[in-house]
Amino acid sequence: MTTYLDYQSAKPVDERVLKEMLPYFNEKFGNPSSLHLYGYNATNTLEEARKKIADFINAPSPDNIIFTSGATESNNLAIIGAAMRRKNQGNHIIISEIEHISIHNIGKYLERQGFKVSRVGVDRFGRINLNKLERLITDQTIIISISIASNEIGTLQPVKEIAEIAQKHKIWFHSDAVASQCSVPIDVQDVPYDLLTLSSNEIYGPRGVGALYLKKGVRVNPVLIGGGQERGMRSGSENMPGIVGFAKAAEIMKAEMSEESARLKELRDKLIQGILTIPKSYLNGHPEERTPHNTNFRFDYIEGESLLLALRDEDIQVATGSACSSKTLEPSHTLISCGLLHEEAHGSLLLTLGRFTEEKDIDKIIEALPGVIKRLRKLSPLTPAKFLEQIKEEEK
Amino acid sequence: MSVHKYTDKVMDHFRNPRNVGEIEDADGIGKVGNPVCGDLMWIYIKVGKNDKGEEIIDDIKFKTFGCGSAVSTSSMITEMAKGMTLDEAYKITRSDVADELDGLPPIKMHCSNLAADALQAAIDNYRTGATPEVEIVTSCQLDTRIVLGLTEFLGKGVYKQIDDINEFKDKRILVVDTGDKSLELAIELTSITGRVILVTSAKSIPGTVELRKKLKVSEVKILQESELIEIKGELDEVEKVVIHDYDEDENYELFVDTVIILD
Repeated sequence: MTTYLDYQSAKPVDERVLKEMLPYFNEKFGNPSSLHLYGYNATNTLEEARKKIADFINAPSPDNIIFTSGATESNNLAIIGAAMRRKNQGNHIIISEIEHISIHNIGKYLERQGFKVSRVGVDRFGRINLNKLERLITDQTIIISISIASNEIGTLQPVKEIAEIAQKHKIWFHSDAVASQCSVPIDVQDVPYDLLTLSSNEIYGPRGVGALYLKKGVRVNPVLIGGGQERGMRSGSENMPGIVGFAKAAEIMKAEMSEESARLKELRDKLIQGILTIPKSYLNGHPEERTPHNTNFRFDYIEGESLLLALRDEDIQVATGSACSSKTLEPSHTLISCGLLHEEAHGSLLLTLGRFTEEKDIDKIIEALPGVIKRLRKLSPLTPAKFLEQIKEEEK
Repeated sequence: MSVHKYTDKVMDHFRNPRNVGEIEDADGIGKVGNPVCGDLMWIYIKVGKNDKGEEIIDDIKFKTFGCGSAVSTSSMITEMAKGMTLDEAYKITRSDVADELDGLPPIKMHCSNLAADALQAAIDNYRTGATPEVEIVTSCQLDTRIVLGLTEFLGKGVYKQIDDINEFKDKRILVVDTGDKSLELAIELTSITGRVILVTSAKSIPGTVELRKKLKVSEVKILQESELIEIKGELDEVEKVVIHDYDEDENYELFVDTVIILD
């Protein structure tokens, strides 16, 4: 069996979820907008699913949930929809330097539409500077959008403090929960988010479905115009098999999260400990305040895509922040914002664990990695001569 | 570009690169880098003569820092060039290298470009008879230079003296090399933060013999042949600096919290 350590980019659909979904492709094919029996049943199913998603994040009412086609759409609807709705109250939006690309690009889009966007910086562990955040606020600020955790380095943000700052200044606080929802519980009554993005695949549900949570009283302008489904905020016939699967995945995740997170944390810590025994290796992100399933390393003198390819030959599937494996050839903006040099960001290795990761997978990479790194370091012109001698000495 | 688009030949050269290493008494060395993707390639050649008395590449070796196709193209070009006359080898183009590898993903074409450039640089280096070392312009001294933003952020992230290093716990610190005292301070700072960067115009690690040894084993990240040219920030806080790299002749930004320039 191949070892898969890239859960942050895609997760398999849980068998239990798949089973739940199947009847909704043919047998229970009704459209909730119809008034006949099929439509009536579909409406019931839709509202049950909405209730399960609301329960997953402890939302007071199912009315707080809108189904979308995934996290990207939820982010668009939340930020662009809120900006358009509140544009008479101000034109200033704050995001962080290390947001996911979908949010960075929304920021750039809104700048072209005449909004002002500030990007709050982070420290060397990727935590945002709260003091700076508050000082960036003006009487024009209408939205703050900062993710609960980074998808790359797993650093958890002080969301409760951010929400309090936002509340104090009557600014809407949106958060993208995608990078943390598989291992960190969400309670929207504890942290007063105004808007929250959720993804189905991140909790082992199908892709192509997601949700946006809106606090009571918060409304956004639609970005998709049509038949007025989802209280007019998201038109389009509901993706029933996807929504049913998403709801089942949320139900399972809610029941199993505490056990699953504890297990992942143990595996993660073993992985970190094992890998940091390699000379000149470093952990990116925060040593403690990080999601239980995320690790991100870098190794001096080595480029990430080479590492990825070499590990693929060892039957281990991983991800990297290297520019060479990106579409733009720019290194990870998250790592650069944490203060890394380009060459360091190029050498990063992103290992993310999940529901089906076992201890033997962790053992396998801990065993394989030192040899792979030695081989690549012998090849690299950046490896200092003295260090190279050490490597060769060890091999004898 | 997804990784699985690499051809079998590319993967073969990546897995078993040919002619890796250095030639100690090389006749020509070509060192090139690509600032866009950060790749670095060094090619060493040894020149001999064939039966007709033409100059040929007798031996060739390489070292590469880069992605899968950067490694493969370096390996491939060494195989192609070995035994060729210098004139033939000089004419190898990036598409020649890519063709030999049964093609490269379009976004990776610059990697093969780099391999051909490195080989040409090695041949140029041999032909001009220059010492096989890249000449670097030495920087001017700090006291004659202007660092933009220095006065603006003085006391707000920029410091000329340090009273208590504990104030800088877990900060990202840039120390400018202003002599041995600054080097000692850089080493000392690694006890309270994991991010200390030393910027120096020197070509090698600076300082006395003893300091140099300490710096080498320390966690201080050293930026050689570089200089601080600008300090940037917003609302009275340092956020990043602009560093000029003489070797690459380019500027880049680095996120830091603190800049220390001892008097």
